[in-house]
Amino acid sequence: MPIAERGYAHWEGTFVERRFPWWPITRLGIRLAFKRKFFKPVFAVSLGPAVFFLAGIYMSERIEDFQFMFRGRSGNRLLGVDPAYFKTYFTFETTLFLMVMLMVLAGASLICDDLKFNSLQLYFSRPLRKRDYWLGKMATVSFFLLIVTLVPGLLFILFKIIFSGSFKLLADYPWLPISVIGYSLLVTLFFSFYTLLVSSLSKNRRYVSILIFLIYIFSDVFFGIFYGIFHDSSFCLLSIKCNIQQVGAFLFRVNPQYDVPWIYSFLVLAAICSLSGFVLKKKIRGVEVIK
Amino acid sequence: MTTGEMNIELKDIRFHYGKITALDGVDLTLGEGACGLLGPNGAGKSTLLRILLGFLNPAQGEGRVLGYDIRKDQFLIRRSVGYMPEDDCLIPGMDAVTFTAYFGELSGMPRQEAMKRAHDVLFYVGLGESRYRLLETYSAGMKQRLKLAQALVHDPKLLFLDEPTSNLDPQGRREILDLIKDISSKKNIQVLVSSHILTDIEDTCSHVVILNKGKVAAQGELEALKEIQFSLYELRTKGETGGFLKTLKEKGCRIEETEDELMKIYMPADLFRTEIFRTAALENVQIRYFIKSRTSLEDLFAETVGVD
Repeated sequence: MPIAERGYAHWEGTFVERRFPWWPITRLGIRLAFKRKFFKPVFAVSLGPAVFFLAGIYMSERIEDFQFMFRGRSGNRLLGVDPAYFKTYFTFETTLFLMVMLMVLAGASLICDDLKFNSLQLYFSRPLRKRDYWLGKMATVSFFLLIVTLVPGLLFILFKIIFSGSFKLLADYPWLPISVIGYSLLVTLFFSFYTLLVSSLSKNRRYVSILIFLIYIFSDVFFGIFYGIFHDSSFCLLSIKCNIQQVGAFLFRVNPQYDVPWIYSFLVLAAICSLSGFVLKKKIRGVEVIK
Repeated sequence: MTTGEMNIELKDIRFHYGKITALDGVDLTLGEGACGLLGPNGAGKSTLLRILLGFLNPAQGEGRVLGYDIRKDQFLIRRSVGYMPEDDCLIPGMDAVTFTAYFGELSGMPRQEAMKRAHDVLFYVGLGESRYRLLETYSAGMKQRLKLAQALVHDPKLLFLDEPTSNLDPQGRREILDLIKDISSKKNIQVLVSSHILTDIEDTCSHVVILNKGKVAAQGELEALKEIQFSLYELRTKGETGGFLKTLKEKGCRIEETEDELMKIYMPADLFRTEIFRTAALENVQIRYFIKSRTSLEDLFAETVGVD
């Protein structure tokens, strides 16, 4: 292969000061996620619950047409679109499970591949801060998570207004859009921190993928075991899923499933985020780019 | 930056890792062209590069890289400097064009220009034909050129190359060295090469900095240094050489004996060769063969750092 097939010419352009220097990292992360095997089908399936709940909103406005489906019971009572309906979607086990699958496929490799293939050296030899790197990586996971939380949540409100032809939902629950936004941001932030934390623990993408999945599942299994033995609902603090559900219940103003103050669950989630920040700070160090 | 100004100026740089002194009063002035950074393991080369790239703040001293303060303008330095690391670096799932353009963009280039420029530099380093191939499928030589391409994409004024020929076959090594020579001599880009392969430095650099135990052991024009630091003579003798060698060593010479009984005498710059003859006469040693040898960088390195 001949060297210098073309000569070297100096670049005449000027550098730009980006408002969001992390954006190229996010864009690349999103692009690479779509190239990953199985990602596209999983991403499509992860939108399934949203479509299902959206159909529910449509049916709630055409309840007479679908009365046959309820076998004589009141369709209005079963399909009442209120904050509880939103909370059910957001803390639905399938929704959370599919979010974890998205994290596995789109987020597992984010830092672990950079550690494995030494690309941190290339990132930090550029005018890039450590926080830009984190933000870029976090925004990749957040992008996908917001698509299955914030986007459907806002669409539910919009379509309810369109289908019903009135603003009754917003008049009855004016805080609902804020709850939707708040919950979506909270769960997205938590899962993004969680994904990056696990991704930074190993250089092997498979281990990271398994770990993201197992920590989520086993935290719930442990809660089930302890709850079964001691019948104490405070063990729900061990479960990631239950903590999210508790906080979700508070934000949508519905009764929480377990008799534990929501703030404890919130603090558990915040502690995991802090741990993630601490580990990332230790693991991602620009100064180590030159060995 | 105008011609004639210094690209790197360091004054009394000191840095410690806890109680360990990594750099101890380093003074350095480098202008244009290619410069080799040499030193045994633990000499402080990596720490020096870290300081030059703005990752570490020196405990003492001041410095400027391309006119930017190493303490305050670290981002500006990294924008104007290209860095080619020693390790293989890639992002799996990418092709060379996207990879190179990506790092151009992270350096602050507009996206479209980074992409255009990525094509150009990939052709320049000889990866034009394979620029759309996945990086995982690249050979060691191709990965090395890719690293050079990403370091060049934003058209730096100063290029740091860390072991640029490691893991390369002789042909690949030759090609990378040709590129480095071309970059440093014809493209108005200053190159700082850190390498353990002395012949690479000798091939590509006109200037050399030798670090030892955190201090600059020698720096300057390579040819001049080889002359100034010491003279190398090769000789064969007859007779009992014990006393002869002992006396020469006492006078500051370093002596190596080869298997075919050839003696290499590294003489300090302040001694004349007549000293060898005088000592031989005093110690009753006959000199049967005497020649002033051409000194290599290896000799300079050995003499400066004090290792064989």
